[in-house]
Amino acid sequence: MIDQFLLGLSVVLQPDVLIYAFAGVFIGQLIGVLPGIGAITAISLLLPITFYLDATASMILLAGIYYGSQYGGSIASILLNLPGTPSSVVTCLDGYPLAQNGRAGLALFVAAFSSFIGGMIGVSILVLAAIPMTTIALRFGAPEYAMLVVLGLLAASLIGTGSQLRSFAMVLVGIALGVVGADATTGFYRFVAMPELADGISLVSLAMGLFGVSEIIRHATHHGRPTPRLNLKIRDILPTRAEARSLGGPILRGSAIGSFFGALPGTGAAIASFMSYATEKRFSRTPGKFGKGHLPGLSAPEAANNAASQTGFIPTLTLGIPGDAVMALIIGALILNGIIPGPRLMVDQPLLFWGVIASFFVGNIILLLINIPLIRLWVLLLRIPYQKLYPIIIVMICVGVYSHRTSVVDVVLTLAFGIVGYLMKSYRFEPAPVLLGFVLGPLLEDNFRRTMLIYRGDFLIFVERPISAGLLACTTALIVFSVYSAIRNRRPPAGLPAKNEH
Amino acid sequence: MTPDNPQQPTALSRALSGGVLMAVGIGMLVIGWSYPVGQLTQMGPGYVPRAIAIFICVMAATILVIDLRSTDVARSDGLHWRGLIFVSAAMLIFATLVDVAGLVPSMFLAVAVSMFADRQAKPLTVLIYTVLATFAGWLLFLVILELPIPAFRRWS
Repeated sequence: MIDQFLLGLSVVLQPDVLIYAFAGVFIGQLIGVLPGIGAITAISLLLPITFYLDATASMILLAGIYYGSQYGGSIASILLNLPGTPSSVVTCLDGYPLAQNGRAGLALFVAAFSSFIGGMIGVSILVLAAIPMTTIALRFGAPEYAMLVVLGLLAASLIGTGSQLRSFAMVLVGIALGVVGADATTGFYRFVAMPELADGISLVSLAMGLFGVSEIIRHATHHGRPTPRLNLKIRDILPTRAEARSLGGPILRGSAIGSFFGALPGTGAAIASFMSYATEKRFSRTPGKFGKGHLPGLSAPEAANNAASQTGFIPTLTLGIPGDAVMALIIGALILNGIIPGPRLMVDQPLLFWGVIASFFVGNIILLLINIPLIRLWVLLLRIPYQKLYPIIIVMICVGVYSHRTSVVDVVLTLAFGIVGYLMKSYRFEPAPVLLGFVLGPLLEDNFRRTMLIYRGDFLIFVERPISAGLLACTTALIVFSVYSAIRNRRPPAGLPAKNEH
Repeated sequence: MTPDNPQQPTALSRALSGGVLMAVGIGMLVIGWSYPVGQLTQMGPGYVPRAIAIFICVMAATILVIDLRSTDVARSDGLHWRGLIFVSAAMLIFATLVDVAGLVPSMFLAVAVSMFADRQAKPLTVLIYTVLATFAGWLLFLVILELPIPAFRRWS
């Protein structure tokens, strides 16, 4: 394991690879800072460019954008109360009050430090888990893959924010969109309304529409983003001894929760940060302090979302199953580069596999180093009004989508998905489950069909095979748990207020 | 931008999300009806789409019932018409022009039109900004990234 990791380091530390790691985390932090552009938009924009890079460099670049954006997301949350990424929504709760009390420097430092520790713990777990997980993954057959996808899709709709029914409906819509195009087994054209759809709906179109265009439609007319005020002195940045001591527990608990939800397919950084905040608050001796600038309420979710964004690569790299929407795009990039992610990846492409993992280690160090010194640059960026940004984002989306398959139809489809995504959100439907369903749907169909064919329609096979039975048990536990908590929340016991998650 | 702010959303607006979803499910069922379904052990290309369509209809019905029974649903804050119209126009202009006129003119018009989604856009600012943005786009896409799209195409 150590040898492989050192091999990976030797790949990353080559100057022409290191530059992509640096570029990735820098772009990631930048787009994380800017509210309204998330990792999904940035990665979809860069997807066409990765055609011109080799697979290792493009993976390192795109992954860097992902975990870099987790660092950057906290900056806008703390300074402006505007979450830069979905996973830093919770960071606002205690980060912004700290900034209002004149302790912005401290909040930024604690956020960066917690992110770093969380990220490093996540990377360590990834390194430790890589070989055992790949060994297990090599024993995965069609029933296991089908079960795992079901678990991931259910986890995506049952855990987290928003209505569970609505999220599950969106997963189904995603699967439906994934069906469009030629059937993988028979080549039969399904729902091909135009010849351009024969290859299916483009992932780039769907992602850019649902996440990029829809947000622009919503925010283009708005005015009056507050401008950040900041005067930093080194003295204000560092926590006092007592404060520093109070951070250890929350960071470790946050990292543990984050690592779990990151590795679980279907859930990711956003859910991890919500869960760790809720946990800290529930088990705190002073729950009343949360929401008023309590440091554990800032450090736990920051550690969690960064740990999750690293362990999210466990299912992605070892099984080829994306844990969340961003991972789906990264897998898309790998496939476009002609590399099929899955258990064979570590064996067939050790340099890529370990190089990418080692790049996370290097990337987290770079992020910690550039976070605080460049804070003036990030504040400057936050001063740019959205009205000066969105026209450029629109053009980047148009050119990105068009150049991906040189298809005008894709541009029009992106607009259509943008309008649909905008309307969906107005009616409380989340777009992320659609993207996950879209990517995992074909995997589910293919493996389910194959299972039924091989085992002659015998559903007992899912129980007879041990790994599949384990996954089925997890799925059942998940369903039982969410039905139980739904019933408990609907009928609060007399005298107690209804318990609200997060 | 808030055309009407209904205190009590009407039954129709509360039925909208479930209804649209139901339409999607039924539409999928109807279009996919002719696809060969096969059996469980030998699934045809129509099997999974039909199953998914039925699932969608069930979810739609459930959502419909829940939304109609509860009272605090769909606090719709009105549509952002201005953003919707100008963003759509900008992207459609880009899609129409890029194959006909080339990248530079289509980027120019897309930026210019999209800027009017902002209520406070002023013509002179728009012009200056658009020229700069188009130049930056040309630099990024054609000079640095060398995307294989012609800057200008001859009208034919």
